[in-house]
Amino acid sequence: MPDKEDAMIYAEALGKTYLIGKAKIEVLKDITFSIPKAKFAVVSGPSGSGKTTLLNLIAGIDRPTRGKIFVQGEDLTEKNENFLSDFRCSNIGFVFQTYNLVSTLTVAENVAFPMEWSEKPEEDVEKRVTELLETVGLQDRANHFPSQLSGGEQQRVAFARALANDPPLLLADEPTGNLDEKNADKIVQVLQLLKEKGKTVVVSTHDLQIKHLADQVLSLEAGKLANQNE
Amino acid sequence: MSKAAFPINDLLRRKLQTTLTIATLTLSVASTLFLLLYGSRLGFNLASTSGTLTAGLTNTLNQFLLFVGILIFAVGAVLTSFIAFLMMAQRTRDFGLIKAAGCPNSLVAGYFMTELLTTILAGCVFGLILGVLLDYAAANIVFSAYRLPNFWFAPLVFGVFFVLSLIFGVLPLLKASKMSPVKALSPVDYSLTPEKKHKSISRQGLTLRISLRSLYRRQSASLRIIILLSIVFILLTVSVAGGIIASGTTASWVQQTTGKNTIAIATNSMGNQYELLLSKFSGASETGVFNYSNSTLAIPETVVAQIRALPTVDVVDSRLVLNEQVQEIDNFTIDPETMVTSTVGGNREGNAIVIGVNPENLVGTWGVNGRFLNANDSYAAVIGDSISQSMYSPDLSKQITLANPLVEGIGFQDSTFNIVGVCVDPINNGLVTYVPLANLENVTGISNPNLLLITLKSTADQSAAIAQIKTLVQSIDPNLNAFSLNSVVEKNVNFLASTWQTIMLLPLFILASTALCLVGYMMLAVDEQRQEFAVLRAVGAKPRIVLFVLAIQSLIVLFSSFGVGISLGTIITLLVLLPQPLVTSFTILEITGWLLAALAVMFLLSLYPAYRLSKAAILKIMA
Repeated sequence: MPDKEDAMIYAEALGKTYLIGKAKIEVLKDITFSIPKAKFAVVSGPSGSGKTTLLNLIAGIDRPTRGKIFVQGEDLTEKNENFLSDFRCSNIGFVFQTYNLVSTLTVAENVAFPMEWSEKPEEDVEKRVTELLETVGLQDRANHFPSQLSGGEQQRVAFARALANDPPLLLADEPTGNLDEKNADKIVQVLQLLKEKGKTVVVSTHDLQIKHLADQVLSLEAGKLANQNE
Repeated sequence: MSKAAFPINDLLRRKLQTTLTIATLTLSVASTLFLLLYGSRLGFNLASTSGTLTAGLTNTLNQFLLFVGILIFAVGAVLTSFIAFLMMAQRTRDFGLIKAAGCPNSLVAGYFMTELLTTILAGCVFGLILGVLLDYAAANIVFSAYRLPNFWFAPLVFGVFFVLSLIFGVLPLLKASKMSPVKALSPVDYSLTPEKKHKSISRQGLTLRISLRSLYRRQSASLRIIILLSIVFILLTVSVAGGIIASGTTASWVQQTTGKNTIAIATNSMGNQYELLLSKFSGASETGVFNYSNSTLAIPETVVAQIRALPTVDVVDSRLVLNEQVQEIDNFTIDPETMVTSTVGGNREGNAIVIGVNPENLVGTWGVNGRFLNANDSYAAVIGDSISQSMYSPDLSKQITLANPLVEGIGFQDSTFNIVGVCVDPINNGLVTYVPLANLENVTGISNPNLLLITLKSTADQSAAIAQIKTLVQSIDPNLNAFSLNSVVEKNVNFLASTWQTIMLLPLFILASTALCLVGYMMLAVDEQRQEFAVLRAVGAKPRIVLFVLAIQSLIVLFSSFGVGISLGTIITLLVLLPQPLVTSFTILEITGWLLAALAVMFLLSLYPAYRLSKAAILKIMA
């Protein structure tokens, strides 16, 4: 197992407990693992096993209750919101299960806006948007709003957005969970492409096609790491 | 669960929204009630009881209060409608869910009607209590003794506001209750069509586009808040600009009638009586009868001559001040087309202080409708605004349908004087008449003035000159004395200023009430966009970007309404509220400062929900 400096992701006794009223719900129970750079990792497990929580902790969207999480050697546990925002913007692409596109921005604008804070020249932004929309096959829908797209198309826009700043790490939370077979295939093709480009990809999924791409599988069960196969 | 349990529990669970709604209604009702109660206490409007101020100033304040009152009602109505709209806009999905579960329309409408009634009732009751308490506090600050206000205003305000709130609240409620479950539950139709051509992507442009399109998406709410804020800014402009201009103008009227740094020369008793006459404006009253025609009050001609000869003296205004029973002398007009004559006025009587003056030697100037006396006038008169109001207004109970002081005359001691002007004057609370000194001496047979008002040259040392004058007059007649009238003028001006200051609390009320409403609107905006803000944050936007997007929305709404409100408010203030307003560059600066401060306060308050959201954890926003 690579140490925290060499690994893309390194988790040490990572735990997360939610308080709902007076009830404590322990979602992740002190798990330790690492994912090397340029590897394709799949997080699997039944619903409620802690897959989404784990991805949120890796992205710095949520904070652990216990333990530490390192991404590219940075300890995200104690960092402030501004640092985490910058870090996510430059280093992490996140694809949500429910797409989460900004409804008031067009497809092109949705892909462009993460670049808004990364000081890229405007011509580069335009070029990158065109390139990404071609990659996901949506160049004809650039000026449409999300409500005018199908679910599969929205998910592909979400992938394009996640890749906008060319992050070394891509996280995807059940990206094919809401899609039909045909659209799911297109997503798998995008993931395959990313793997070939040497990106570190972590996907939470039940999809067998995606599992076949995996270099590493983290199996979660009731918040514990049941298995870690490489 | 009873039928009432759902709406009541629903209100209790949405504590912040419910509190905001009730607080806004409370402030609206309270400010209206406070205005009416305090207006009546000042002796204006519906319960006009003179005791302080002159009739002319009363009219000015009355007109001002009337405009503000009408606007407050308008704000209340739009505010209520808006708050009800906000409540319903946030509940559309709940409507859909309840109806999709099989609940009939009438029952859904009943639930939300119960919520509306509960909220309105609470707002109106709390508003009544707060309004009375505020009136009590304000009355105790300005007046030394608290008198019971006209309590019938309370049920009037309660009734009108309750009905208005109900009418405006029910409209959006009915619309929402008739919405089909499918429409209520379907994804929001953003009414955005595909962009016809690709717009270049600029770095700051996207944040701006999110702000603008979100405003457009909530067109109905955006339009309502702009209308509401426009009315509020009209109100603020009328209150602030009108208040400041009217306060300055009326203070100038009061100050200029006596003049600046004026010294009075008279016997001690006459001097004190003249100060009392001036002080009646701010509430002083007479305790006994004063004999103005007493020969011991006369000022010898040698005193006048020697004072005139002093090099430090600028103007010597000789006056004969008397108390007379005066009578309205009617007149008639002829219609030039029909040649029909009509009687103007009647023969009403009253008591007034009559002052004989030399029009060429006056220490003061007057705000006059018509003109003041001039050197060529003979048997002409200028009457005070209170006499004009009490003796020269149409009075149907006396069959006087036409009255106009500038057409009529005033008589006393069997002599008639033609009225050439109506002035604002604090002396005897406006129950005063100015006539030429020579005419008054002829009519009364009194040949000496009983009061000298003098002003000094600007180069003179005020206190040294008073001492010199005092020594001089007492060397001729030991009964005479010299007094500075500065303190009594200052007292009157301060009283007027404190009256205005109390009225100027009203804009603060409205500002607070509207700021709360704006916070409510921003909460709606935040609530609708929270998922998208969470995405922005998750993708790498810093918290300040969220704040920036919402700040732009707030600025657009505020500036649109500020422009409309300020323009209309200025027109109303300058054209309708006040004749001959006194507007200096300092006044304009003061008004601009106040209005910009109001804008800034509203803007900062409106950012509160955005600030809270920007500080919240991403997952909490998404939840």
